[in-house]
Amino acid sequence: MLVPLAIAPLRSQTAEAGADHEITDWILISASGDVTLGLSQPEVGQGSYTVLPQILADELDADWQRVKVRFVTGREAYKIAFKNEPPVQKEGASMSTTVLYSRLRTAGAAARGVLVRAAADHWKVTANQCRAEKGFVIGPNGQRRSYGALAADAAKLPLDPAPHLKDRTQFTLVGKPLPRLDSKAKSTGTAIFGIDVVVPNMLHAAICSAPAFTGSLTAIRNEAEILGMAGVRAVVRLPAVHVANEEPGSQHPGLAQEARHNAVCVVADRFWQAKCAADALDLAFDPGAGGNLSTAGIDGLLHQALDAEKAVTAVETGRPREILEERAQAVIERRFVLPHIAHAPLEPVNATASYKDGAVEVWGPIQAVAACQDAIAASVGVKAEAIKINVTFLGGSFGRKIVPDYVVQAVHASKAVGRPVKLLRTREQDLRHGIFRVNAGGRFRAVLDGKGYPLAVQARVVGQSLFGATRKSWLDQTPEGAWDESMVDGIYNQDYRLPNFLVETIDTPLPVPVYFMRSVGSTAAVFFWESFISELAHRAGIDQYAYRRTLLADKPLALRVLDAVAEAARWSAPPLPGTVRGIAYNCYVGRGGRFKTYVAQVVELVPAGDRLALKRVFCAVDPGLVVNPNTLAAQIEGGIGFALTTALHSRITFADGGAEQTNFLDYPLLSIDEMPEIVPIILPSDRPPQGFGEVVLAPVAPAIAQALLQASGRRIDTMPLPAEAFRR
Amino acid sequence: MARFTLRLNGTTRSVDVDGDTPLLWVLRDDLGLTGTKFGCGAALCGACTVFLGDVATRSCSLPVTAVGNSEITTIEGVTGPEAAAVQHAWIARDVPQCGYCQSGQIISAIALLKTIRKPSDRDIDLAMSGNLCRCATYVRIRAAIHDAARALGG
Repeated sequence: MLVPLAIAPLRSQTAEAGADHEITDWILISASGDVTLGLSQPEVGQGSYTVLPQILADELDADWQRVKVRFVTGREAYKIAFKNEPPVQKEGASMSTTVLYSRLRTAGAAARGVLVRAAADHWKVTANQCRAEKGFVIGPNGQRRSYGALAADAAKLPLDPAPHLKDRTQFTLVGKPLPRLDSKAKSTGTAIFGIDVVVPNMLHAAICSAPAFTGSLTAIRNEAEILGMAGVRAVVRLPAVHVANEEPGSQHPGLAQEARHNAVCVVADRFWQAKCAADALDLAFDPGAGGNLSTAGIDGLLHQALDAEKAVTAVETGRPREILEERAQAVIERRFVLPHIAHAPLEPVNATASYKDGAVEVWGPIQAVAACQDAIAASVGVKAEAIKINVTFLGGSFGRKIVPDYVVQAVHASKAVGRPVKLLRTREQDLRHGIFRVNAGGRFRAVLDGKGYPLAVQARVVGQSLFGATRKSWLDQTPEGAWDESMVDGIYNQDYRLPNFLVETIDTPLPVPVYFMRSVGSTAAVFFWESFISELAHRAGIDQYAYRRTLLADKPLALRVLDAVAEAARWSAPPLPGTVRGIAYNCYVGRGGRFKTYVAQVVELVPAGDRLALKRVFCAVDPGLVVNPNTLAAQIEGGIGFALTTALHSRITFADGGAEQTNFLDYPLLSIDEMPEIVPIILPSDRPPQGFGEVVLAPVAPAIAQALLQASGRRIDTMPLPAEAFRR
Repeated sequence: MARFTLRLNGTTRSVDVDGDTPLLWVLRDDLGLTGTKFGCGAALCGACTVFLGDVATRSCSLPVTAVGNSEITTIEGVTGPEAAAVQHAWIARDVPQCGYCQSGQIISAIALLKTIRKPSDRDIDLAMSGNLCRCATYVRIRAAIHDAARALGG
């Protein structure tokens, strides 16, 4: 387990221009008492824009009504370390609140400390005779001085590197369901997303990319005709960039630039003109080495790997191989195959870029500032310091907007035309040229003991390795080869009591561009794992809740969420006639072991005509201290809905070297009529805040599959869950 | 290029654009009204929904030539009791997460409440299923519509 970097509160040597006084890297206070809090983590919908300032403001004892938030970049304080990497400014891996919690508290408390000292100096009393409250310091005789009046003096006092922090009973904001600070802007059309950026003299660009991932542009057959179209200013060939393994010590994702061109963008006065011209492009591409990539070929590789004699051993305890061989006749086996899927944020990827005299400024929906800077620097040959990144609200991301391929393309377009350019992908270009979540296959084998519980289990997961494709330094090395923990998230580190246990993986490398997606490997791996546990309980004839309870007997935090969800769902009482239920459990372990969030869910399916419909999902969570129960509940609701899109609808297929899906007709998202009622159960905890944004997704699909098994005996071995499985 | 005069948010605006330009891009690129969003370009997601008269309309698939003399109302220009109730409920419930789809959701919700004062869950499903939300804020959308209906006395 990594120890979070201790970052002492600092302030820059040069004061920022304007009326604001910088108290720390995170806190500006104006003479009139307005408090501006820095936000280092992009707001992608998860609520960071409210929750992180809430932590700062509590220790600062700021008046929440006078708090403003601004996105900040460029300082060490804003960087966090992911697994074994150097710290960078990035949102991801459900890390923001859990990692920044103590850092923001320290910054807020240190700022409160200098404000109190400034007041004490003013009144010529000692600091411990004074206290802070809602934007004022209050002296021994009840005298009050506002933070605004104190800011200039406080900004000159040294910050205490280890200030006294509040205990939980003293919190005034943390733990409260405060309203989101961005709801009004997002309900009145005034929030600025990347697509809404306007800079002076800006042009618009639309893009057309090689259908095959390994494709190269060989000709533009009608360039003159395109240049003659209304509003068109330029036709720009774009160099291929692809997500690659990182160089040692660099920031991820690696974004390698190749000699080939693989896309053309048309730059025009208006987006519609650019889009019409891009549609009219007559381009010739060589599909390259991966031109025969197809779904049949990819699935063939999965099945080969599932049947392969040898795999890489990730975990082995007891004598699983021997027992499974000795009792071959009693082995229970299940196999699963899952497709690649796409993030499909509703705001298609886009960026506005200005390249001028070797300096670059970009505006856009960007999830990882550092990765974006590095990719631009490498691609257009400017120094990272000469690149200014302006982060807007993100219209969804789910991991997609960490990869800045679209930003680099916008910079190239601007460089080519010498003016700022906003490059926006159409939905078709966004989806077909996405950076996908990997596929996965699973083969699970077990024998049960005399009481019906697992005696020996073999869990094999195969597929395109995310770490193998993008993060080789994150692979675990063994004498048999490397294994990728993300392929077996929630399996290799699972909680059930298993005396003899074997976990193994096989990487089937593919030319499909892949990257992290919300919940990473766990949506696949936990679907396999919990479905297999359901199978074993079903075969043993033991209640699914009781079975899990027995296997978790020595895990009190796991039992707590499992019991809580069973109680809320009244599991011990028989369901209404026709209703079927499923229960699932997962402990989501943060990357690098940074956190543990416990989750258990019960789903209820009810008859609706000739089908079963998902009516209700109970979700119990132990996420440690909850900074904001309002935004946490929203993550439960939305996370389950997001998982339902994956469970019911998502599949990317491949032909002729590229993805086939183009829009929401062939890549549907969950709609409101498919959304169940959600019952959140948030358990109190003495632990500090754990990660949350990704944690409720994984149990949804296996809980539904278990309910369908209960209803009809039918085994579900794939996602999206087949529609016919819901027939009554 | 041709000149089009549009009745928009209670005023009149003129633009010079190609007639096949979808209303969405006229609003966003020519008139600077960026509250209306682009999501799919094919009337599949609802992010671009505006009022054409009283009808919630997908502006990404409506050429500006087809607007004619109809009054256009975007998220920036919504007024009236239904709009006030819906926006108030949206904020009070903290419906948005990323927020990108919400302009379209709000227009569709206002249109629903203008026709059905007290919508059932089924009415909401029918009226709102064309407005996709990738963050799946649907639980709160449903609750906010019921709140707004109550506030309107429905």
